[in-house]
Amino acid sequence: MGDSSEVKTEAVEEVSALELRLLELAKSNVEGISNDDIKEQIPDISLPELTNVINKFLKNGTFELFKTKDKLYYKYKDPSKKTAVKGADNEEKVVYKIIEEAGNKGIWIRDIRFKSNLNMTQLNKVLKSLETKKIIKAVKSVSASKKKVYMLYDLEPDSTVTGGAWYQDQDFESEFVDVLSQQCQRYLSEKWEESVKKGGGPLLIRNRSYATANDVHKFISELGISNVPLTVADIESILYTVVLDNNAERIVATNGSYLYKAVNRFLPSPGLVKTTCGICPVANRCGDMGLINAKACTYFTEWLNQ
Amino acid sequence: MSVQLGKVVSFILLERFGPLVERVGTYLFEYGTNPLFCIKKFTDLPIPKIKESLAILVKYQLVTFAPNKNDSVANYTLHPNKVLLHLRYPKYINMIKKKFGDEAEVILEEILQKSYWTASEVILHVYEKLKKDNKSNVTLPALRDNFVSLVTAKYLIRVPYNEADDKAVPSLVVQDHELHMAPPVDIMELSTNPQGGNYKDKDIYWTVNFDRFHQDMRDKILVNAFTQKFDENAGELVKLLLRQMYIRTEPWTDVSNPIPLLEIKDLVRKQANLKLLNSFFDQYVNVIEQDSSNLIRKSGEASGGSFQIFLKEAFTQFAWEIVEQCVLEKFDSKAARIFRLVKLKKYIDSDLIQQQAMIPAKEAKKLTFQLLEENFLQIQEIKKASTGTGPHKSFMLFHINLENVVRMLLELCYKTLYNIMSRRNHERTVNKRIIDKKQRVDTISISMRSQGATEEQLADIEDMITPPEKEILEKIDKMMKRLNTVELEVDDTIFLLQMYLVYQ
Ligand code: SF4
Repeated sequence: MGDSSEVKTEAVEEVSALELRLLELAKSNVEGISNDDIKEQIPDISLPELTNVINKFLKNGTFELFKTKDKLYYKYKDPSKKTAVKGADNEEKVVYKIIEEAGNKGIWIRDIRFKSNLNMTQLNKVLKSLETKKIIKAVKSVSASKKKVYMLYDLEPDSTVTGGAWYQDQDFESEFVDVLSQQCQRYLSEKWEESVKKGGGPLLIRNRSYATANDVHKFISELGISNVPLTVADIESILYTVVLDNNAERIVATNGSYLYKAVNRFLPSPGLVKTTCGICPVANRCGDMGLINAKACTYFTEWLNQ
Repeated sequence: MSVQLGKVVSFILLERFGPLVERVGTYLFEYGTNPLFCIKKFTDLPIPKIKESLAILVKYQLVTFAPNKNDSVANYTLHPNKVLLHLRYPKYINMIKKKFGDEAEVILEEILQKSYWTASEVILHVYEKLKKDNKSNVTLPALRDNFVSLVTAKYLIRVPYNEADDKAVPSLVVQDHELHMAPPVDIMELSTNPQGGNYKDKDIYWTVNFDRFHQDMRDKILVNAFTQKFDENAGELVKLLLRQMYIRTEPWTDVSNPIPLLEIKDLVRKQANLKLLNSFFDQYVNVIEQDSSNLIRKSGEASGGSFQIFLKEAFTQFAWEIVEQCVLEKFDSKAARIFRLVKLKKYIDSDLIQQQAMIPAKEAKKLTFQLLEENFLQIQEIKKASTGTGPHKSFMLFHINLENVVRMLLELCYKTLYNIMSRRNHERTVNKRIIDKKQRVDTISISMRSQGATEEQLADIEDMITPPEKEILEKIDKMMKRLNTVELEVDDTIFLLQMYLVYQ
């Protein structure tokens, strides 16, 4: 897990440098800024990046959009003002504080109740009110269905809450993951087979069989089986399932990133699982006496008649 | 003691030695070491019968005895694992046949059947037997050589003998140097006096050294494992490493002593069939050494480097693989994934399991608890420091205790063996009438043939078995073959799992 979250925080920091500059610009222009202003002041920014940031600001309420003379302007809106919401009473402040502390992981209503010592009806009222004022929001958590967590309105929920790319409305897309896992495995085995074909000695074959998550990412993207954009980190976690299935191994390369390679097992499948008893779900209840026994066992009969 | 093992042991004793021996053996299995009068009291068999049974069990080395405190009475102990070895006899015989040829095979077969024998007698016996089977080119010296090679290669071993017989309970001893010393067999004496007895080696008995066979089996597993994981050349490399290992290492140590690479290289160069290994020798060494399994490691740089084989580690990894495969087949691939995840993380909570294994929460939970219920996983509850109430006051970590799982699977193996045996017995009883008929017809036709009956007459006899009966017989035959094969295969699993436990 460590690796993927690292990647994410890194990405956030990168963006925030840009965000800061934009914020500065907007703060110093109380009248609002236009797209042309931005281009003038921050020339080294690419358009898609800019749109991204602006969209984000618009969404979380940092910017307001207005139009004068057919021109679009963005205006900075101080978020700190939001906390001092008009009519906020003490209870709202307490609850706000608790929710704020929970960060982007959110907090469950029960826990808010314990911490705030409010009774359920009171708490519900406060939450409703904060919600309508767009100060907080409720997010459905993937870890338990029907469980809602609260967090500040402008926070991006943590991936443990939303589940990341693998969730569609709180539902884990199991089949999607399976297909990806299979494709990743296929890619690795084909890579291995190819290197065996090329020959050149075991060392060369082995080294040629390694693939980085980037390689696999490229392959998966080109396959076009996914309609949501997948990050390299996403592929990395899929590749880990292939490792867990014992179909690949993962080593750390000299630059600290992971390398993946298809592998064989040491042993053929053991004799025990070739029998019906070795994989029998009712083996614990099978004995000499009783309904379940080896003489009358239908699993056994079927296997014998195969 | 395991109940399942007990059932298998009783079954084998019953099949090979009859009901009396079975009762005595089962009693000893259940109640452990015991003297004669206790056996008498509980089994309620007449003393002479018990003595007879014990004699058989002792003869086949399934039971050993030791004097009690004041040296007056013998205490008997059954060794269930030795009884199980009976199932492995076909494997032992096959190994010798491959390594030493047909004549050695027959020698081993006879000794297995009698448990122990003197060299002269077994050689004579095999000689007669092979001659009767029209193997006319068999000679006494050749048989003796075969026997001696079996002794020097340690497949046969000297039986301990009684030194001083003034004690009530004899104590059997054998000196280390005598174990593998070739017996004095006088070919002249045998050929001039084939009926005689009283040969030069008349008190020197030999028996099968199972340990030696197991060592071969272990090595074969290792070589096959490397062949399967890498390729044949890697397998050959490991085979040579093992061969050189024996020069300086006790066969059953956890880690071999360092083996100089130059020696191996020399051997490879000399063997014509290892051309590929020869040309890529260093690469193969590199690949195996750098493999994440880490079973063969470099131990020194001097004179081209030397390597150690980590045998204990190898069988631990093999045990893991077996267990993983069992989880895979018994449950499904998702369960196997969870199992391996827990193995890699040592301790892990259920949230992390579903996240990393990428399995939907509900399914992950279900599988984890199934694995828990069947004892593949263990749980450890950790209380949170802050004593809150509600569902978060403690969290559970899953982990695996490999040794427990191995013992459990071993138990399942025994159960499976027992089921296979009782099923086979059952099929035999159900079809007794037709099997008996077939046997009768066969005997008749053999005796008629020896009396010179015509083809027509013989065909008439054969026709006594009707086509539908023939069909049933074929079916039974197929079934029995299947049961026999799978019995041997389950024994392979038992061997691997036991190997893991041996090294613990
Ligand atoms: S005999 Fe049948 S019921 Fe009993 S363990 Fe085997 S497969 Fe299961």
